[in-house]
Amino acid sequence: MSDEAEQELTEEEQRVADAEDVWVFIEEHAGDVMNVSWELLAEGRKLADKIDQKLVAVVIGEDVDDVAEEAIQRGADLALVADDPVFEPYRADPYGTQFRHMVEEKNPSIVLIGGTHTGRDFAGRVAVPTWAGLTADVTVLDVEEDGLLLAKRPAFGGNVLATIVCEDHRPQMATVRAGVFEAAEPDPDRDGEIEHVEVVVGEDDTISEVLEREIGDTADITDADRIVAVGGGIEGDVGPAVELAEALDAELAASRKAVDEGWVEASRQVGQTGKTVRPELYVALGISGAIQHLEGMKDSGVVVAINDDPNAAIFEHADYGIVGDIFEIVPELVEAIESGAELTEVAQ
Amino acid sequence: MSDGWTIVVGVKQVPDSDEVTIDPDTGRLDRANAPAVLNSPDRNALEAALALRDEVGGKVIAITMGPPNAAAVLEEAVAMGCDDAALITDRAFAGSDTWPTSYTLAEAVKYFDADVVVCGEETTDSSTGQVPPGIAAHNDWAQLTYVEDLEPRPEENRLVAVRDVEGGHERVAADLPVVVAFAFGENVPRPAGLHRKIYAENEFEPMEITAEDLGIDPDEVGLDASPTQVGGMDTVSPVDRKEQKFETAEELFEALAETEVFS
Ligand SMILES: Cc1cc2nc3c(=O)[nH]c(=O)nc-3n(C[C@H](O)[C@H](O)[C@H](O)COP(=O)(O)OP(=O)(O)OC[C@H]3O[C@@H](n4cnc5c(N)ncnc54)[C@H](O)[C@@H]3O)c2cc1C
Repeated sequence: MSDEAEQELTEEEQRVADAEDVWVFIEEHAGDVMNVSWELLAEGRKLADKIDQKLVAVVIGEDVDDVAEEAIQRGADLALVADDPVFEPYRADPYGTQFRHMVEEKNPSIVLIGGTHTGRDFAGRVAVPTWAGLTADVTVLDVEEDGLLLAKRPAFGGNVLATIVCEDHRPQMATVRAGVFEAAEPDPDRDGEIEHVEVVVGEDDTISEVLEREIGDTADITDADRIVAVGGGIEGDVGPAVELAEALDAELAASRKAVDEGWVEASRQVGQTGKTVRPELYVALGISGAIQHLEGMKDSGVVVAINDDPNAAIFEHADYGIVGDIFEIVPELVEAIESGAELTEVAQ
Repeated sequence: MSDGWTIVVGVKQVPDSDEVTIDPDTGRLDRANAPAVLNSPDRNALEAALALRDEVGGKVIAITMGPPNAAAVLEEAVAMGCDDAALITDRAFAGSDTWPTSYTLAEAVKYFDADVVVCGEETTDSSTGQVPPGIAAHNDWAQLTYVEDLEPRPEENRLVAVRDVEGGHERVAADLPVVVAFAFGENVPRPAGLHRKIYAENEFEPMEITAEDLGIDPDEVGLDASPTQVGGMDTVSPVDRKEQKFETAEELFEALAETEVFS
């Protein structure tokens, strides 16, 4: 492009023209990395290769060099590290300010952030001041040769996939659902560069304070081959469902209703605001089949529903169903499975 | 702080998600025929705001951005107990994505001199969850998202929240002014009292606020100021399910035993 033509570009147009590289935010809490970040690194690698640009891991936290190393091993060409006690534990304002500064300095073309509560909490604090396009809860990513990101997200319960594009602003940002891409395994021989960036926030600038943080052992239901999920119909008694899960060697999961009632921990929630799962077998016990729930499990292999309401929407999304009371049917099913298992053992 | 806090609640009218149907031939959504309702997480936001006012005093103002008919949700908010309500409406806003939407709302909450802004977790029609952090970012205010419980500390000029974070919870204190996104289903919204209902329906008129009132340049909002565009819609063919029903657990087990899952 000639100098003359360059002068005709507005500042924003120039930013679009100059933007390069694919960034992936590596979400870590006290050194533990969320798996979605590794998933995004694998997907980001594909996008970067397609447009022949660098894949950059953004690591923010305290004592996070190990995380940066692992990001290189898992596919990044470069890890940008902002290391400071102000970043532990996570808070929206220091993370937003730091990330925004890095974006303004380096002008990435694409920025991918896990669609976790943390990712969705601070992505807007970067997108707003940089006037970037931000697409929420993306499940499919692609990029055109010229670098235009095609971010697809489900609309209305996943019956429609909307493609969101951002032609005139950079970066093109997306928060991406956990569990939709496969993480790449680390390769200890992979080479990459680690760059420590300037930390631009101090404790005195912060406007929030974490008083307490309590994290349990979180279950990861996204990898399970078999899932037994419970809903409002269990009325607080998870016992039979747990027995069924044991008989099937399945993980326990839940609808939001069961999580909100406190019957099942939040990390086991399936759905739009929970996890996306794709097990071979999904058993829904006393779950009505609200679209927000379906969105998280509709790609499961075989779906079984037990519900006492013959008109429950879940039956339209199930392969096999029984209309009836879970407290009667589930114990019978457990028995059938156990005696079935004995039969196969005898046959062998 | 003797006269309490000014609490602004952002609410939105959405198509009733239970009534949105899919045209079986085209696979397209039929939103037009779905009745318009108050976004359900906003009910939790309203309750949280009213409960805050009950504790610290002050007033609650409900706002919504949309065309004139969107004001119906303000009536509901006033019936629940909001002191006042405003419709933020202007042709200039048409086609706004989350960037100009949160910009407009950020200007509106400054206009009302809000101490606390409460929103629902996300809307059931677009479910981005980006507007509350967007309001906070535009104004450079603190934010508290995925909030399950609020504890006002007027003497410290702070608001403390219990937030849901992956795998657990945290308690965070934020300086005022602050934007809260209250989690869906985490409190029990109060019913509208009969007197309030009658008042909201018959006497109450919401304020109308335009871009000009807020000092917003029309070029900074609407479609042209929106960084994102919808590039296309694909219908996803839903997985074909057998929809086969059984009477007994044994029959179900036998059917399952035939599948690959059990082999
Ligand atoms: C913004 C937003 C996000 C959301 N995100 C999610 C999400 O991620 N995941 C999610 O699941 N939901 C989500 N929801 C909530 C969703 O809309 C539904 O409210 C929820 O999924 C209902 O859960 P449920 O079907 O388990 O409970 P209910 O609606 O209470 O249904 C219980 C079912 O059990 C049946 N039943 C009752 N007793 C028995 C019995 N003894 N035997 C057999 N059947 C029985 C009933 O007939 C009924 O069908 C979200 C909602 C909003 C607004």
